[in-house]
Amino acid sequence: MGIFRDRLPVVLGAGAAAVLTAAALVVSSASAAPPGNAAPAFTEVNTAGKPISLADFKGKTVIIEWTNNGCPFVQKHYNSQNMQKTQAAATADGVIWLSVISSKPGAQGHVTPAQADKLTADRGAKPTHVLLDPDGSMGRAYGAKTTPHVYIITPDGKIAYNGAIDSIQSNKVEDVPKATNYVTAALANLEAGKAPDPALTVPYGCDVKY
Amino acid sequence: MRALIHRYTRSLAALALAIVLPVLPASAQATASSDHATGTLLVERSAATPGDTFLGALRLKLADGWHVYWRNPGDSGLPPTVEWSSSPAVTAGEFRFPPPHAIPLEPLMNYGYEGEVVLPFELKIAADARPGDQLTISGLFDYLICADVCIPEAITLSITLPVAATPSADADASAVIAATLTKLPANLTGRAAIERTDAGFRIGVADPAVAAALVDAADVRFFPNGPEILHPPLQPARTGPEGVVLELQASDFVTPNSVIAGLLVIETKDGTQKSWEVAPTPGPMPDGISATEFVRTGVDPAKAAAAARASAPAAPLDFGGAVVLLGLAFLGGLVLNLMPCVLPVLTIKAAGLVHTAHDPVQSRKDGLAYLAGVVICFAIVGVILVALKAAGDTSVGFGFQLQYSWVTAFFALLMFAVGLNLLGVFEIGSSLGGVGGNLADKGGTSGAFFTGLLAAFVGAPCVGPFMAPAVGVALSQPAAMILAVFVVIGLGMAAPFVLLSFTPAFAKVLPKPGKWMETFRQVLAFPMFLTALWMLWVLATQAGPDAILAVLAGAIVLAFGIWLAGKVGQGMAGRIAAAVVVIGGFATAPILMNLPKEQLLVEGQPWSPQQVSSLRAEGRVIFVDFTATWCITCQVNKKTTLYSASVQQTFADTDTAFLIADWTNKDKVIAEELARHGAAGIPFYLVYPASGGEPRKFDGLLSPGQIEQALREAAGSI
Repeated sequence: MGIFRDRLPVVLGAGAAAVLTAAALVVSSASAAPPGNAAPAFTEVNTAGKPISLADFKGKTVIIEWTNNGCPFVQKHYNSQNMQKTQAAATADGVIWLSVISSKPGAQGHVTPAQADKLTADRGAKPTHVLLDPDGSMGRAYGAKTTPHVYIITPDGKIAYNGAIDSIQSNKVEDVPKATNYVTAALANLEAGKAPDPALTVPYGCDVKY
Repeated sequence: MRALIHRYTRSLAALALAIVLPVLPASAQATASSDHATGTLLVERSAATPGDTFLGALRLKLADGWHVYWRNPGDSGLPPTVEWSSSPAVTAGEFRFPPPHAIPLEPLMNYGYEGEVVLPFELKIAADARPGDQLTISGLFDYLICADVCIPEAITLSITLPVAATPSADADASAVIAATLTKLPANLTGRAAIERTDAGFRIGVADPAVAAALVDAADVRFFPNGPEILHPPLQPARTGPEGVVLELQASDFVTPNSVIAGLLVIETKDGTQKSWEVAPTPGPMPDGISATEFVRTGVDPAKAAAAARASAPAAPLDFGGAVVLLGLAFLGGLVLNLMPCVLPVLTIKAAGLVHTAHDPVQSRKDGLAYLAGVVICFAIVGVILVALKAAGDTSVGFGFQLQYSWVTAFFALLMFAVGLNLLGVFEIGSSLGGVGGNLADKGGTSGAFFTGLLAAFVGAPCVGPFMAPAVGVALSQPAAMILAVFVVIGLGMAAPFVLLSFTPAFAKVLPKPGKWMETFRQVLAFPMFLTALWMLWVLATQAGPDAILAVLAGAIVLAFGIWLAGKVGQGMAGRIAAAVVVIGGFATAPILMNLPKEQLLVEGQPWSPQQVSSLRAEGRVIFVDFTATWCITCQVNKKTTLYSASVQQTFADTDTAFLIADWTNKDKVIAEELARHGAAGIPFYLVYPASGGEPRKFDGLLSPGQIEQALREAAGSI
């Protein structure tokens, strides 16, 4: 006990100092897209072969969704119509929705433009564009980890939300209605002039097939 | 031995229950497979008591190249989960995760397991459960399993666990779980500190166990519980005599209030992992942890192979741990005396005690001989285990894989022989010389030794719940400790009788030796026969009815040998002959049980009139065998003709359909068919020609030539 008594003030002092230091430090990160940062610029072709850039959508809210049609977590949200409904509601409000496929050639989810269009039609998906990023450059720039992984970008080009589509980390369709849809919630906050809360969540799903 | 003990404990539990209600042996394991994994639900107990708390585990064996996830899966993935559907009296705890491996998926990182993982969890039985209840432990085990793609897979596993007044262990499951427990993260006894850096965090750990593990470390890594650390980057490390310091990169998830905790995992050069739960407190780094840069070497294949040979790795116990382990072993040995499988043998010992109770010198001698017998038996078990471990049999755990149905058969015969001895049919020592000693005769020091051997041999399977954890831990220890544990189990088991042998006061309680002792001894024969019966019952579940027949045949040979030994007297040739027959008796069962099964070219199919008409419509030759197991001539015909190579070949050449009408049990359809063909009984055979028309009839003894010709004619090939 004596040892602890002797050391206690030192430990406490050191602890307090460390906490203060931690608080004072600017949060640094290897990821390119934490909320509040400027969204990384990109130019990728859509399924019609047309180059699409973030700059094209200045003044509009942009949602980027990483997807892979072979991934069970993506299927969870498309089979339950959750993703389509979220897309439809967002685009109806004038939000730009970009579905991005970063699977490398030969990997699960890699599709030709025609296949991508067919997937969109078959699933009744409502993205503004489907972007093809087979070299993964856009995915890496954003630090996209999973499918699905969703980013929301404000009209002035800042990351407003980065993370999961919803709050229950599972691949089960029956969890969709029980979960909080973070994207819908973030859009509602943005519309009300508030910051999304949470603005950063842990995305869940399959790894992006870089 | 593990399998044997496993089998015996299970059977014992079932036997105890069978007295109250008829049940099959409980199984404490269930296995099911999904596309890329095979899952087994393991439970430490084969019978549990009300209020009991113990461990279960999910073992997943994964297909090559696939992985499942740790509690924090890293950048993607999900940990395994379970949705329980057990009996209300069963409460299950959370999975306890062994240390994961870093599985890089450039540019991402996953934390998980490849090959095989065992996830233990706690199980609790409600206090109001009642002995005799049959509880179900079942759940839907859900796991995301990934290679380059991810697939959610799930299996349902269910075990029936009887509730009993005393618990019994499933030694097999206990060994697997005990081995996993040694791999689970330890709590840090030393100090862990964390401080912010430009890139993120620096974590320093000063702890003697960590420092010791670092000596032979191939890799060291901090696996965070949460998302605050970037998973993919290498973690530059420095080490010193006191521990290690790691540089970590922060992720976007770090806030000023973030609390970083996780697992420090050191992989040694032999590929084994040691891990500690670390919750560092903010503050300056401990001294002595950053003298040199740590160079990651990777696992040394030679050392990994050596480690794989050396079974479950574990830190040797300290002195206190060793004392506790040996204490448990002694207690376990003591408890063995109360186990139903030892009781019959102990009655022999009791008889011996009664006999010598009034002769203190002999009594002491017998006590010590009994002690020697018990201890030597356990020591032999220990030596065999050590040898197997040294020989690189990593699968053994508690077990050398005996053909345990042989052992059961041997036990049944041994019990039968002991019963005959107790009845006075023969006297060991006077006739069979050298096998042991007369069990309850005066001057039976060797008899006492033999009783000790037997008691330990029979008792070992009854290793109770006390023993399973002790033995599990013991097996992860150096050879000397394994041996010590087994010897101490023996000491514990022998202790009560040795004490009685050395207590002259005990003699005063017993009546004087006399005629009653002979009667007492004869009465003891019947528990022996009951034990033999029980062994047969166990054997029936192990190896089926044919094995019972084999053992009973062995019993007849054995009885003949014993009778012969009594007849031939003391002549050397006669004694050898009798001994050969006795050994033959013991050998009969395993020989019969292991006769190769006949491989038939054309297997018989069950006969039915419909089958005959449909085969005739196809234009096939049909051979119908009207037979029954009680029909000896039918069996002879089978051996000499129907199953002979030439007839089998002819069946195949002529594309004959071989139908068997089994008349072993009453069967109206078969009886009518026989009557229709004017057959008086069986054996009776019909050969239907391919071209249609009336079948040819055969009865009595067959010859291969006769049948082959009939078949060729029926096929139209002659």
